[in-house]
Amino acid sequence: MAESKYYGQFGGQYVSESLMNTLAELEKAFEEAIRDPEFAKDYIYYLQEYVGRATPLYYAGRISEKYGANIFLKREDLNHTGAHKINNVIGQILLAKRMGKTKVIAETGAGQHGVATATGAALFNMECTVFMGAEDIERQKLNVFRMEMLGAKVQPVTTGSATLKDATNEAIRTWAEKAEDTFYIIGSAVGPHPYPKMVKEFQRIISTEARKQILEKTGKLPDAVVACVGGGSNSIGMFADFINDKDVDLIGVEAGGLGIETGKHASAMALGQVGVLHGMKTYLLQDEIGNIQLAHSISAGLDYPGVGPEHAYLRDSGRAKYVSVTDKECMDALMELCRMEGIIPAIESAHALAHVFKMAQGEYKGKTIIMCLSGRGDKDVNTVQKYLNGEETNK
Amino acid sequence: MNRIEERLATLKEEGKKAFITYTTAGLPDYDTTKKLMFAQEKAGIDIMEIGVPFSDPIADGPVIQDASYKAIQNGASLEGTFTMMGDVRKAGLKSPVVFMLYYNTVYHYGVENFVNKCIENGVDGLIIPDLPFEEQGEIKAVLSKNENSPILIQLVSPVSKGRIPMLLENARGFVYCVSQMGVTGKGANFHSQIREYLTEVKKESKIPVMMGFGIRTAADVAPLEDIIDGAIVGSHFIKLLEANNYSEEAAADYVATFKKELNA
Repeated sequence: MAESKYYGQFGGQYVSESLMNTLAELEKAFEEAIRDPEFAKDYIYYLQEYVGRATPLYYAGRISEKYGANIFLKREDLNHTGAHKINNVIGQILLAKRMGKTKVIAETGAGQHGVATATGAALFNMECTVFMGAEDIERQKLNVFRMEMLGAKVQPVTTGSATLKDATNEAIRTWAEKAEDTFYIIGSAVGPHPYPKMVKEFQRIISTEARKQILEKTGKLPDAVVACVGGGSNSIGMFADFINDKDVDLIGVEAGGLGIETGKHASAMALGQVGVLHGMKTYLLQDEIGNIQLAHSISAGLDYPGVGPEHAYLRDSGRAKYVSVTDKECMDALMELCRMEGIIPAIESAHALAHVFKMAQGEYKGKTIIMCLSGRGDKDVNTVQKYLNGEETNK
Repeated sequence: MNRIEERLATLKEEGKKAFITYTTAGLPDYDTTKKLMFAQEKAGIDIMEIGVPFSDPIADGPVIQDASYKAIQNGASLEGTFTMMGDVRKAGLKSPVVFMLYYNTVYHYGVENFVNKCIENGVDGLIIPDLPFEEQGEIKAVLSKNENSPILIQLVSPVSKGRIPMLLENARGFVYCVSQMGVTGKGANFHSQIREYLTEVKKESKIPVMMGFGIRTAADVAPLEDIIDGAIVGSHFIKLLEANNYSEEAAADYVATFKKELNA
């Protein structure tokens, strides 16, 4: 059992003593739930009837033709609330109910996970508090209002950099105090065990569907599967069922911001520095004295200084490859998808797309690529507008 | 003998309780921290906890978060704090000193290198709030190589329950009993089962039991003085220092008064 807390040297439970029993209780409840057919039935019911799954695996014909590979988009943007985040929220909130919790808390950066959690809390009649950096509240006003409409309380976090990292710190602090009646819904494949595993299981549906769909459509497995990586929830879900298909290349795309060489980026794996944050050992952006460094990306959803521990392991074991694309490359790809396919993607997802274009023009010419289109871009139109007008888009 | 164990043995002989303070290293600067350490020693402090500031102190409340942030802005670091420790030991500081820090700071520095520097500079104990028992293997392997290594202090919480025997089995120095759930500095609203919890720890423990989190005055812990062997004050002490412009007199007065009342 102990080994399952780690992915190689990564993962673990680096939390205060007062959370250790809480984590043990959570792990037990989770392991029981995923073996219980009734739980699976409920989860699938809500994903089908409420979220609108299965999402299509769409063959993007025009960009495929232009760039020279067969590009399939896994349309997570068509989920209720507009992104993959809801898959995990439904799973965790059903677990919270099962454990008898009456309140949920969550952290959010761009607000997508916050909106998904507020949605789930409304659906299951739970009290919901979302921690959000004051800086992000300013950048994502529309999502703040959406959460409030859904009945959630948005708690501004003003400490540190007042962004996702600090919102996560504050959520962990509150959880340590209130774990008795409160369930912490972590949105990304990060945090202490069993969170990375839970998030993977509740996002696995992305690859379970996609694998079946591609076999139906093409009769074979894809040559590569690509997804963007912040903390790594859509990517671990997109990779999950392909990990054992050794001929399928797994590629994660981190946010390169203004370029790795500028130091202003969110590519935790680019520099390969291991550390401990938010309950896990993983690759982290750090300064020369071991403080956590601010991530920098045009995308608020990838603006996180760490990465999920399983991704760190997949990188080291060589099973997956991680690359980065810059703000500019990402925005060019975003506009291309708008104009050629009539799809406005989230800026997060456009990172993956930018790399897919590079792949298609290079060694994947003529090959089949599945990309996770993790969310829709409605939330980003202000940022896109500012970018196109040449205004400052990063804090 | 380790300074912590030595001091606690003396207190036991004298039938006295221990008073422990927490200050953030380099707040507002290292010279002030040094002066405050000597002032406290003169006033009769038993053990000093020195916080090495970290960017993401998840076990701390607003006061210590803010103190850490300011100290980092003023240039504080682990290296600087080791240098400061070396300086105060050279200048004759005799009191036991415990570093309170987060595991990333240790890990980034390199565990082996970190432990060697602790030994070199007279650090007697370590409190690492985000390193629970199950994750301590890595650092314990290094600590056990040298008998002069600092003691890794074990923390116990009001919900540790069945974990208590495991936590205490090989614990040395003292047991740090967290008085409430959540983070430091939330005031003296101790856990509702505080008495039962401390009694259980005390029964199980072969070493002194200290209580911390939310304590401001000796009166706060007076109802529990028949159980505990000492008290730890952090956030309140930092607030007091800030309000008094980090005056050595204010620090000394507070320590002397608390110590006296604790043993009244």
